[in-house]
Order: sequence, then structure tokens, then C-alpha cells
Amino acid sequence: MIELPTTSGDGHTSETFVPVFSNEELVFTTDETAQIERWKSHYPTVDGAIMRVLWLAQEKFGYLAPEVIRLSAEATGIPYAKAYGVATFYTQYFKKKKGKHVLDVCTCFTCQLCGGYDILHYLEEKLGIKSGETTSDGEFTIQQAECLGACDAAPMLQVTNGRYVMQLTPEKIDAMLDALRDGKSLEFESMTLPQDADEMGGNRRSDTQAVLETKAPPIAETIL
Amino acid sequence: MEAKKDNSGRITDWRSYERVLLPSIKDLHRLDVYEENGGYQALRKVLVSDDWTPAKVTDEVKASGLRGRGGAGFPTGLKWSFMPPVDPEVPRFICCNGDESEPGTFKDRQLLEYNPHSLFEGILLACYAISAGTAFLYIRGEFADWITHIEVELAKLYEKGYAGKNIMGSDFSVEIVIHKGAGAYICGEESSLMNSLEGERAYPRVKPPFPAQKGVWGYPTTINNVETLAAIPTILNKGGDWFASVGAERHPGPVLYGVSGHVNRPGVYEYPTGILITDLIYKVAGGIRNGKKLKAIVPGGSSTPILRADMIEGVRMDAESLKEAGSMMGTAGMLVMDEDTDIVGFLRRITHFYHHESCGQCTPCREGTGWLEDIVSRLERGEGHYRDLDLLTDLCTQMEGRTVCALADAAAWPVRYTVERFRDEFEARCRPSLVPAGISI
Repeated sequence: MIELPTTSGDGHTSETFVPVFSNEELVFTTDETAQIERWKSHYPTVDGAIMRVLWLAQEKFGYLAPEVIRLSAEATGIPYAKAYGVATFYTQYFKKKKGKHVLDVCTCFTCQLCGGYDILHYLEEKLGIKSGETTSDGEFTIQQAECLGACDAAPMLQVTNGRYVMQLTPEKIDAMLDALRDGKSLEFESMTLPQDADEMGGNRRSDTQAVLETKAPPIAETIL
Repeated sequence: MEAKKDNSGRITDWRSYERVLLPSIKDLHRLDVYEENGGYQALRKVLVSDDWTPAKVTDEVKASGLRGRGGAGFPTGLKWSFMPPVDPEVPRFICCNGDESEPGTFKDRQLLEYNPHSLFEGILLACYAISAGTAFLYIRGEFADWITHIEVELAKLYEKGYAGKNIMGSDFSVEIVIHKGAGAYICGEESSLMNSLEGERAYPRVKPPFPAQKGVWGYPTTINNVETLAAIPTILNKGGDWFASVGAERHPGPVLYGVSGHVNRPGVYEYPTGILITDLIYKVAGGIRNGKKLKAIVPGGSSTPILRADMIEGVRMDAESLKEAGSMMGTAGMLVMDEDTDIVGFLRRITHFYHHESCGQCTPCREGTGWLEDIVSRLERGEGHYRDLDLLTDLCTQMEGRTVCALADAAAWPVRYTVERFRDEFEARCRPSLVPAGISI
């Protein structure tokens, strides 16, 4: 027998919507509003700015709860339903509360062959959670990501939709987790192009400290 | 060192080739360094001289034989000429596709990091050629760091008067808008990219009408890949003839090869098109790591058909040669697999990728990608049957060409060709199909 959801008198499910953020919290500051207006002016219609506004809202509130999407829609000047459709289409917009640091481990294609799953399992063991879960202290969430476009640096991961951490080893992961726990920011890592290494002896950018030399990727299943 | 030419006067020798897209110049990503090295000269030339009409720029690009570097390989000059005649009432747009999400592709990220101004100059030249007033640079959301980097450089461009109103004192004006995506493979498809820009869910559109007729917000639009546009300044500086003389005759020009996987030196390499695959693996990328043997390659991103080690002898990295060998050039992001690779597990991960990334608009793709993943997963667990292999092929036939965009084809090809070319490995995982009578399967 199929179990039907319990319904109230008006035919809607009895599940009531409880907002997480209060009305006092749900505001954009004057600076943020000015930025949103600038973005809106970049497109023929204001609709184009919704993705930027959702990004801003996610950075501010941590994730896109329905009321945050509503706030973004109102700030952009488009219907809530349309903003909701956009927010739920893309994987980088978080619809549920995540940990303070979201670790997107690439396991696709090259990373799979070069030990992406080993890195994922190492993280799972180390943090005591499964992929898709958040640690009980709310610090870390682990996720599997699709190709992040850094196949030359496989295996790699991305921290909270921001920094790439490339050429991962267990030691590098340990150091990264410690740094994130201590509230330190990770450095931008620049991959040396192999031809640059040949022709100019290394990285060509003088404004980047962390430079990764090209090296053969590890072997899957034996990395640990 | 002068690049060596072969008997027919073409630059095909990769050893003596001098890089133009990613030349070995320190800090080339900075505007001042880019200008010291001849940057924005092509733009200045076309804006100052009356001789360089927009039509002449398009003709030069046509003469160069440049084919799009985003995967489909469509001739760029021809694409530009599809734009309708200029009507001052109707705005025109350029979209630069920097959504680079095809697994195995990472060339555009290097361009954004090391030579973003060649891209900006290319965008401005393309805007001039098709008389567009606004350029949207769509970059995938994962490249957040690189978006920040190029936003800094774009601000310098505006400050210097190379973007915005009256560029270099002429009456040519272009606004460049950087649009940040948010993680959807489908946005690399041009019509879906346009929907994403317009603040819609990124569903692909039915074609025709093509973007040149009805693009973003219904206005004429041209969409080009990052690497394609970054090659435009070189074409105007060195001439279309020079570009056409580099590499393979029917697919000319320098190209960024992204070699990844089990090689000793993975990374992006700039060489002429038409390099031997064996040269690329063994000489350029340092051979297979740990002295192992080659098992297979995927030449241009996950959707291009896989090639066994015995199929790559004498095959070159250009559209024609790869087509003959039974694959495609794609994005030239090559994955190299050594002899220990589990092909069934590899295919399972690809099918998972397409299942995850299907936008859900068309039924054959939404359902088909899920079935592909389920069946290949069953095979990987050793619970599949021989008949599953034919079922997979049948499923591919029912997906190919039956959807709005090419994602269903891209999902079906790797399955079809991997099963065809490694059938023994798949069969080795199958259980016999003999089922006693009276037992339901």
C-alpha cells in the first residue's frame, strides 16, 4: 500500500514552512544594494543579474534557504519562482545548510584514474563522515564533484566554491584541514606549464608564491 | 630560432615551434607587460586605419582557417559572417564561452591565468568585426579565483580606455561583462549558456533559430570559445596566411593540448595542430608513468570516442585524421590511460557524470543517462549479463540525435565506443545469461 502524505483541510501537506532567518537578518546592506544595482545595469533586463545576486546571498547567509532566495528575487526584481528555478538548477548554490568548509573532491575522469576516490575515502576516514555529510562540529562537509577543470593537477579538490587545492597527498590534506580549522586562508596555487619549466625555468608569474611543478600523478588505489 | 617548415612550406615541426597563445614571457597576464610585448597592436591597427573595415577583419579570420576550439570545430570566420546586416536599432552581442566543463579539458583556465589580455583583445576585435556593442564573458563558477584575477585586469582595461566608450579615441565602444556561472556542465552548450545569461534555468533551446538570428534576449549573437577568441590577435598580427600555414592543412593553427592522466608530465602544451598522438604522449608529455604500457586514450574530452593503444599509430591530432581513426578532436584535452586502468569502472564514472549533468529537459536524455549509469554500474559490480552489452548499444541508438542539444549524443558516444572497443573486458564482468526456467529475472 502506498502511504499518502497527511493533508490538512485545505488539501496542502501539513508540513509547515519555518524560516531559518528572521526578517531583521534578511536585508542587504547599502553597499550590497549598490553592487546589485551595478550588476543589474550590466544586462539588457535585470534578470541576468540573478546569478550574481544569489552568489552574494550565499556568501552572506551561508546557503540559499527559501527566504534567502526570496530576498534575492526581490532585490533583483524578478518573480520568486524564477529565482527558485535558477537557484535549484546549479550545483554550486547550496540549498541546505553545509559545513563551514565544503570540500568538493573531484572524482571525475582524470581524477578518478589518478586517485580521486582514494582522496575522498581518506577524507571520509579522517573526518568520520561519508561523502555528502557534515561533521558534527559543523566545520566540514565532503562532497563528490564533477570535473573541476584542473586535470593536470589531479587529484584535486575545491574548498567552499573558492580555492583549488591541487596535487593532493594525504600529508597535504592533513595540512589543509589543520589550516582551515585554525582559520587560516589557503594560498592560491599556480600550476607551472611544462613548456614554461623548459623554456624559462619555472613559473612565469611573479605575483604567486605557491607554485606547483609538473609531476607524474599518483597511482590510484595505492596512494594511501 | 625560426620555426622549421616542411617541404610544402607548412609549420608542422613541434620541436622548433614558437608559442603564440602562451608565449614564454614573464608576467604576461599583466596589462603593462602584455603591451610591452606587442599587445593591443592589432586592435590599434584596425581602429586607426580606415583600411581595416569590420568585413576585412572577418575575411582575415576566414583566410586563417581558424576552427572553433570549444569542441565542435566550426569555422570561426564563417560563424561571424552569419550575423545579419547591421541595424542601428538592434543591439548585437558576443558571448565568450568560458564554461569549460568537459572532463579532461583545462586549457582555458591556463589562458585566463597566464594570458587573459589576448582573450580581451580577441573579444574586442570580434566585437569590431561583427559590430557588437556588448560582450559577455561567461566563466564557470568553479573558476572563482581566475574570475577575480581577470576582473582586476579588466578594470585596468577600462582605466586605460581600451574597453568601454570610445576605445583608443575612436567611435568604437564595447562593454565587457564577466558573468559567473554556478556549476552546470550544460552551460557550455551555446543556447543553454544564453538562457543562463538571461537569468533562466539553463535549458538548451531548439535550433533554429540560431544565435546569429535570435541569441541573447532575442538579439543577434555570436558565441565563441575562450581559446578561439584568444587566437584572433595573433591572426591579425601575423596574418591569416601565417595562421593557415601552421599545422594540419584542413584544421590549421596553434592549439592548446591538455594532456592528463597517467603521463609523466601532464599539462597544457601549445603546438601546431596535427601532432602525432604518439609524439604527444611519449615525447612531449614524457611517456607513461612508471614505465607502464599504454592502454587507451580519450583524445578530446570525455565525450569523444576512446581509442585503443593499437589504434593510434600514425594518427594525428586534427579533426580529419582523428575522424579517420574513429574519434574526434573535441577540445584537445587528452586523457592517457595505462595498462592497469579498469575500463568498466572508468565508463561507469563517465555515465555518472552525464546522468548528473543532464538538464532533464528531454526524455531520451533524462531517462537514458540514468539507464546507462545503472546498467554500467551493474556490469561493474559483476552482476550484469551479456545481453546488457547489446542493451547499452540499443539505448545509445535511441538517445543519439533525439534531443534538443548534443548532451545525449555526448553521453551515448563514450558508452557505444568503449563497449565496442573493449568488449572483452565488459564480457569478462558478465554473468552467464542462462537462467533456469520458471525463475523471474
